[in-house]
Amino acid sequence: MLVWTRRSRLLLWLAFGVLFGVVIAAPLAMVGLAAVAGTWNGVLPAEYTTGHLADAVSGDALASALVSVQTGLIASLAAVVCGAWAALAARSAPAPVRRVVDTVLHLPVAVPSVVVGLSLLVAFSQPPFLLNGTRWIVLVAHLVIVLPFGYGVVSAALDRADPVLADVAASLGASPARVLLRVRLPLLLPALSAAASLALALSMGEVGATIMLYPPDWRTLPVSVFAQTDRGEVFLASASTAVLLGLTLVGLLTLGAARGRAAER
Amino acid sequence: MTAVAAPVAATAPRERERRRWAPLLWLAPPMLVVLGFFCYPLALVVRQSLVSESGEVGLAVWRHVVTSPEFTAALGRTVLLSVGATAGCVLLGTFLALVLAFTPFPGARVVSRVVDAVLAFPSFLIALSFTFLYGSAGVLNAALGGGAGGPVDFLYGPWGVLLAEVTFYTPFVMRPVLAAFAQVPSAQLDVAASLGARPWRVLRQVVLPEAWPALASGTCLTLLMTMNEFGIVLFVGAKDVITLPMLVHTKGIVTFDYPAACVVAVVNVVLSVALYTVHRWVFRVLGTNRAGEGRAGAGLDPA
Amino acid sequence: MTAPAVELRGVSVHFGRTVALRELDLVVGRGEALALLGPSGSGKSTALKAVAGFVRPHSGRVLLSGVDVTDAPPHRRGLGVVVQNYALFPHMRVADNVAFGLRARRMPRREVEQRVTEVLAMVGMADYRRRYPRELSGGQQQRVAIARALAIRPPVLLLDEPLSALDAALREEMLAELLRLRRELPDTAMVYVTHDQGEALALADRVAVMRDARLVEVGPTAQLYHRPRAEFTASFLGAANLLPVELVAAAPEGSDGSDGTVRADGLATVRLAGAELRAEPTGPLPAGTPVALGVRPHRVEVRADAGLPARLLGVQWRGTGFRLELELDDGSRLRADVSTVDGLPAVGERVGVSIPDGCPLVPAGAGA
Repeated sequence: MLVWTRRSRLLLWLAFGVLFGVVIAAPLAMVGLAAVAGTWNGVLPAEYTTGHLADAVSGDALASALVSVQTGLIASLAAVVCGAWAALAARSAPAPVRRVVDTVLHLPVAVPSVVVGLSLLVAFSQPPFLLNGTRWIVLVAHLVIVLPFGYGVVSAALDRADPVLADVAASLGASPARVLLRVRLPLLLPALSAAASLALALSMGEVGATIMLYPPDWRTLPVSVFAQTDRGEVFLASASTAVLLGLTLVGLLTLGAARGRAAER
Repeated sequence: MTAVAAPVAATAPRERERRRWAPLLWLAPPMLVVLGFFCYPLALVVRQSLVSESGEVGLAVWRHVVTSPEFTAALGRTVLLSVGATAGCVLLGTFLALVLAFTPFPGARVVSRVVDAVLAFPSFLIALSFTFLYGSAGVLNAALGGGAGGPVDFLYGPWGVLLAEVTFYTPFVMRPVLAAFAQVPSAQLDVAASLGARPWRVLRQVVLPEAWPALASGTCLTLLMTMNEFGIVLFVGAKDVITLPMLVHTKGIVTFDYPAACVVAVVNVVLSVALYTVHRWVFRVLGTNRAGEGRAGAGLDPA
Repeated sequence: MTAPAVELRGVSVHFGRTVALRELDLVVGRGEALALLGPSGSGKSTALKAVAGFVRPHSGRVLLSGVDVTDAPPHRRGLGVVVQNYALFPHMRVADNVAFGLRARRMPRREVEQRVTEVLAMVGMADYRRRYPRELSGGQQQRVAIARALAIRPPVLLLDEPLSALDAALREEMLAELLRLRRELPDTAMVYVTHDQGEALALADRVAVMRDARLVEVGPTAQLYHRPRAEFTASFLGAANLLPVELVAAAPEGSDGSDGTVRADGLATVRLAGAELRAEPTGPLPAGTPVALGVRPHRVEVRADAGLPARLLGVQWRGTGFRLELELDDGSRLRADVSTVDGLPAVGERVGVSIPDGCPLVPAGAGA
């Protein structure tokens, strides 16, 4: 306990409520409200409608949503596989190598997503590697952006993991492959799921690189939301954002449930 | 004994050789991904920045871009915005985390969950919601009775971007700080109070020194993220708020001036990698220091 | 007449729906050492926290030297508190830890310096001023925590399980140290929370036994040990065997409801496994309630030939002697501590048990 008197505690809570409400809670509430607003000229919407949400799950918007889901799933799966692979392989490498790997794999965090997009444009716009104009360049960009998180989460989990378990398994006569499949990976499941959650959330909301790279047939939902905002369709944009958040949430809850089951064992 | 040892000895040299190279071979696939899709393109960006559109190699593009007023303006704006937003996030985040951690109230857990949820949100969401809150036809203007074109008109300028970044990145400060606060045993606060220290003294002399590494590394990270923020700037769409990432975007796909875009990109990357290095250093140096103390204390902790 | 150092009047503490302390009335005199003894969850630590001001009582009042401090925050109470894991400030050196309370009082620098030197010398830590807590052993951290609490010269020192984090040898040493401090600071009242009866017996003038958020019994240490009035006290303080007995002839002088002989020496007659014994009722025994005899293991005698017939269930060697597990013919079990097992039959065979007269007789409650 830091504050002992009831009066100062109440004052503190009041300040907390005002600041948190104005700075964080109110903006979050706005998007939800706008998604179902029919007309909005006063403090609160004058009427409510589900029309924008319906628009957001049909036609172009629906196509965009599906693109986002596919991009998110592929990129996060690839990031988790690649990141976990690197983290596990780096464990048994000599210390200097491990340090280099660690630095290189964390580095994309420090590079703005727009620059990731630009660099892929520069590198893959001409043969022999012509990816520009295909959906692959978007997928690659998302992979590069979320990979550090896949690697970081798994690597941190390995730091905390008890090395004795793998040693015991080996002492019982299990081959390295068996130790990996039956002991190390199952123990890592919660971390893998956490890494996938983080990667999925980031990929679903990515704009910077995508807006530099997207081909007409692979437009993710955030890019569509920007287009809608640009056209002045702010309510549709809100509805699309709500759909995006909903899809992300479904993914996170699914992964969370998997994590819960893995942790129970 | 010898019967078992002999075959081992016979295969030992080759085995040892294999042991040495196997980990590196295993590292190859993920490293190829990073090198091919991240390092190689980034190297090409650096090269591109040194080649002018007419094909000459040299610092001509650099000279041209770096001295241009739009670049210096963008650089200044980026630094000001990220420093300002970070200061706001650190102040606000520390205050909110303090209240959540040390004077919890019913519903504090829900608030913590909301804070966690924001971490999974895209940043442009905040910019979008600001349109409804502070836009010319937004709630605030309606509440102040202005109707469209009301008295509140800061959104489409630097202050709008700043406030949006504070809103979005405050949770990023709160999380590590909350984790650090959770490490401070409540018994220390109790004992400090019993020794006669008022809340303010306890905060300054007991709580903050413990949270300082988390605050420092959180500050670096927030500086980095606000500097590289793109979604908010793009969505707010303020004409006079051009940051470095925004300039890369404009040069890259609006005017298709790749060499200039690459120059801006290199500057941006150098700045943010420098910040990132400081962040990692702070994290490692201060973090391990504290971890050592934590372990020493953990020996006494039955929990 | 001066007011007691600490007084609790009907203090209850709730944490959400759970009641951590129920209507506690307790007085600690000036310079007195009181031990709050009980198992975990008995409310003893909560009682201490209510005195320190770390928890706010749901009802009741807390008085320090006659002043009602129920609503005062801890920093206005001026008490010395030593908690279980010491809670030394990890980023401050030993001297700064000890000076913390003095600086909070804005004491001049020179005096702070003097006082720190003085209390560190008192706990034998004068050579460790410049160390950080993490560079100290558990016992040394403990000494610093005590020095920090004593530096502000509190009228009352509150100690919450101060020895529980130490190993056995160190605990003995610190116990002796605390006894020495008691002698050096005769005017400082001490409230000592522990689950260890040995510590309570060694340190306290009076003991308050607690259980399930309630005060079971409070009294001078020797009285509680020798003449416990509650079954729980008998078993917790001194680990007595509680043997269900039948009251044959009840009631010493002064107690009412007697329907049997009043013996001149104030002892009642009870029947245990068919044999008659004389026992001392430590309080009123309402007619008809079941009673139990509290017999300490070291008072039980075991022989091969004489006494109550029993079966030897097991023997543990404890270094200084042996602990025997026995079963009487009526099925009740008891423990006996003896110095030798020479001449005793093997485990599983029959032995004789004798229990001395004058063991405390208490109402048998819901079991210990």
